[in-house]
Amino acid sequence: MDIFTIAIWIGTIIFLIISFKRDKVKTKKALKMAFGMGKGMLGSILSIIFLIGLILTILPPENIATFVGSQPLIIATVASAAFGTITLIPAFIAFPLVGTLVNAGVSVIPSVAFLTTLTMVGVVTFPLEKREFGLKFTAARNGLSFIFAIIIAMVMGVII
Amino acid sequence: MKIVKKAKENIFLIVVAVAYILMFVIKPNMGVTSIKNSAYYIKEMLMIMPVVFVLTALLDTWVAKEKITKYLGKEAKGKGIILSFVLGSISAGPIYAAFPMCVMLHKKGASIRNLVIILSSWAVIKVPMLLNEVKFLGFKFMAIRWILTVIAILVFSWITAKIVKDKDIVQKEEKISELTLNRESCMGCKLCTKNYSEIFGMQGKKAYIYSFDSEIDKEKLNQTISACPVKAIIFNE
Repeated sequence: MDIFTIAIWIGTIIFLIISFKRDKVKTKKALKMAFGMGKGMLGSILSIIFLIGLILTILPPENIATFVGSQPLIIATVASAAFGTITLIPAFIAFPLVGTLVNAGVSVIPSVAFLTTLTMVGVVTFPLEKREFGLKFTAARNGLSFIFAIIIAMVMGVII
Repeated sequence: MKIVKKAKENIFLIVVAVAYILMFVIKPNMGVTSIKNSAYYIKEMLMIMPVVFVLTALLDTWVAKEKITKYLGKEAKGKGIILSFVLGSISAGPIYAAFPMCVMLHKKGASIRNLVIILSSWAVIKVPMLLNEVKFLGFKFMAIRWILTVIAILVFSWITAKIVKDKDIVQKEEKISELTLNRESCMGCKLCTKNYSEIFGMQGKKAYIYSFDSEIDKEKLNQTISACPVKAIIFNE
């Protein structure tokens, strides 16, 4: 657990105690609401998690990195952005991987495209996001994030 | 009918389950690897989701709508934008952890633009992540990427707010409408069961609501309501 997660836990527990002291009924209602939210989202979250597990098995990040490293720049950028889009990889795997790519002489453009789409754009989280916010919002946010991830990558390619 | 509806709601889960079954039949090794790969994400979820749900519910209970509207609504302008960046950046967990929080904030008056800023910075700008990036890619790389990402989020959150309006966002509260039938006053004339047989049925000598979901024909329902001689049906939208 990183320090931020711990801080959120501690903060929420303190909040919960204060809330309980001020109004037991309201707090119980809030806890029920939290439980309901969890129950409502559990199925979708589990689907997302197991789908990521499946994708990582079929397309291991290391293989993608090797593939991207041997392609011309444009194909490499599109491929890495697309791969970043379909999956979610924790930072502690993604950064060392991209680090090796850059050190091995792969251009920063595909590397950055991959890093940005990885967390910001989500095909696997799309159904859940759509259910929570509606199709228009989800499509606009993910579409624009994808476009801007490529723009960020290209600008970085020019700067660095 | 109920099974079909349940299946429709969980279509994603079913597809994933079928994919796993196929994998275990064709390549059992890969199936095992997939489960192992998923374990990390399960742990990640259990570490953050319970606390996010409780925090969201507590904030929903104690923070007044006016406060959220004031600090994160359209009128909050620059201050709202900065606050959204800070909120997203000090968060933890994957992007879907931000969903319940953002739904609650929007319900209480946060603007679409700030919603996009919170979601995006929740995903990309996180201090532990930035430290990791420095370690493997260097400070200069991280700093430039961070600045560009903040600029990009500022721009596309503005575009999103132009494309998407508040009414496009699913408002769950609105969907929960209540239909009640006062069985005390019902005199069993069966008019409602004739007018709208999909909803009303007879139980003994009185009518009852045997199936009611969100897909209703409002006009037909209103006609049924006004046709009831004792006005026993009440519908709150």
